[in-house]
Amino acid sequence: MSHFLTFMACLAAFSALALATGRQQDDLFGRPLAPRATWALRAAGWGALALALYLIVQAQGWGLGLVSYSGHTSLAAAVVFGALIVHGRVRARASARPKRSH
Amino acid sequence: MTQGASKAPGIRQTMSDLHTWSGLLCGWLLYAMFLTGTVSYFKDEISQWMRPELQHRADRPDPAEVAQRIAGELGRVAAGSPQWSMRLPDERHATVSSFWRLPRGEGRGGRGFADATFDPVTGQKVAARETVGGEFFYRFHFQFHYMPVLWGRWLAGFCAMFMLVAIVSGVITHKKIFTDFFTFRWGKGQRSWLDAHNALSVFGLPFHLMITYTGLVTLMALYMPWGEQAAYKTPAQRQELTAELSAFIQPAKATGQAVPLAPIDAMVRQGQARWGQYNVGRVTITNPGDASARVSVTRGDAARASMSPQYLLFDGTSGELLQAKDSVGPAAETRGVMYALHLGRFGDLPMRWLYFIVSLAGTAMVGTGLVMWTVKRRQKLGDPARPHFGFRLVEKLNIASIAGLSVAMAGFLWGNRLLPLEMAGRTAWEVHVFFAFWALALLHALLRPARRAWVEQFWAAAALLALLPLASAFFTDRPLWRSLAEGDWVFAGFELMLWLLAGLHVWLAVRTSRHQPPRRKVSQAGARAALPAGVALAEERAR
Repeated sequence: MSHFLTFMACLAAFSALALATGRQQDDLFGRPLAPRATWALRAAGWGALALALYLIVQAQGWGLGLVSYSGHTSLAAAVVFGALIVHGRVRARASARPKRSH
Repeated sequence: MTQGASKAPGIRQTMSDLHTWSGLLCGWLLYAMFLTGTVSYFKDEISQWMRPELQHRADRPDPAEVAQRIAGELGRVAAGSPQWSMRLPDERHATVSSFWRLPRGEGRGGRGFADATFDPVTGQKVAARETVGGEFFYRFHFQFHYMPVLWGRWLAGFCAMFMLVAIVSGVITHKKIFTDFFTFRWGKGQRSWLDAHNALSVFGLPFHLMITYTGLVTLMALYMPWGEQAAYKTPAQRQELTAELSAFIQPAKATGQAVPLAPIDAMVRQGQARWGQYNVGRVTITNPGDASARVSVTRGDAARASMSPQYLLFDGTSGELLQAKDSVGPAAETRGVMYALHLGRFGDLPMRWLYFIVSLAGTAMVGTGLVMWTVKRRQKLGDPARPHFGFRLVEKLNIASIAGLSVAMAGFLWGNRLLPLEMAGRTAWEVHVFFAFWALALLHALLRPARRAWVEQFWAAAALLALLPLASAFFTDRPLWRSLAEGDWVFAGFELMLWLLAGLHVWLAVRTSRHQPPRRKVSQAGARAALPAGVALAEERAR
């Protein structure tokens, strides 16, 4: 259970951090977000990462917790990354339907 | 990555060169070390799959009773041996693996060992095919094969050192580690490879650093023995050092006075009281049946991120507790923790999977790095149809060491299923099969055009992996449907995983065969829609 919660917190954290980068804002919204919103996303992201660390260390102690934490953060970042790639591909394919091959 | 530093190369350029060349030089071996090390997180499961004769059992006998039963059996099988050791069954290991030192005069120079696997319930030796099991991948990942063990370990250490250099220089080279954290630019040749390589490296960065560094620590006493040699001079001091690092007690001089062993189960129960019912790892007995008998009961690996020994030492004749080793000195404990971090044996199942997945990402990091070396240079080739020797060499070695290793590892599992059961030296032949497949892959890579070689080897690996569960169904009595029906998740999970990996190889094969290599920057830009080449280039530069 603690593994699941930690992973979800990491997933939320990296989603927020991804949305806080200029390139993803361009790709997803077509324009940069307001600086205040970007700042809030970034804070939320780091906050959620801290929360995840707290959760797993509570459950497993520092030794095991830190190891699990590095695993969960890696995996969550990879999932967000993969989702962004899939999203980009789907949209590129949709907009390229008239002609272009890639 | 490469900035236009035309004058004196800047720090980033220097680091980039260091990264490229340290990565390339050891990349092929590192890839093999990473991949075989990654699958070793499931070493016990692989070993189980490779011994299909050992039946799946759902019940778990009490370790104390098992220890007593096996000690009795060892008294018959290994009579006269000065040292017995048994690993008690746990969640991932349903049998008792035992080994014992041969009595003086037998074996090579009194240092020979014999081993056997016992059924925990009947206490009888179990008959299973002779196989090296998952142990082969584990051993290979730090000492290779066909060479003296020490050479292999030195070579592995050398590569790990280069890996550390590559990680640090890679981080310095990576300009926009935060800005580009989530960036992946699809279909842009070298750029895409770089993005993938960066993502694989950065997401797992803490893990990759940890695994490389702790890997070096596991063998540090071999690489740098001088401190130890200077500090511990007498045999007694050395013995103390050994006690700090290992629970594997050594036999003292036998008195020659026969005294029967005290009950072992009572000793194991004391261990269970301390560490939990199923958390006794190993029982080692020295000089059994002699007045000087000693028994050590060792704590298991579960839920403890340290390999430092924790054990109870008993007088083997009276059953009296002589010593309870609960902690070691801080330096030894640091080593114990790092060792444990590398092995990941303490983890529960989710953590083991995390180790496996992130470690697989590390493998892909090395793989993408190797491929990138060729991708980057292909654009600069004078005549892409006839690349120079160095380029061809790297390309061929990449194919054999990346795609070829998948073929060889799958081939190794086929060897386990197909080699005749009564064959002499079967264990050794399993390993020969692995290298035979690998050698064939290299030969194939040398003879075929590069892209075809990649595609064909990925397809070969996919086929070998996908058909393995069928081999199980035909040649053993553990077909997948039976494993599923009985809830035997080690077997079922292993074979489903083989299919998943086969799928991964199919995907790689399809991607590679569809790939259109961009011959020249200009022609690539020209092919992109109706944009004028200049606009496309400017756009690309802006991204």
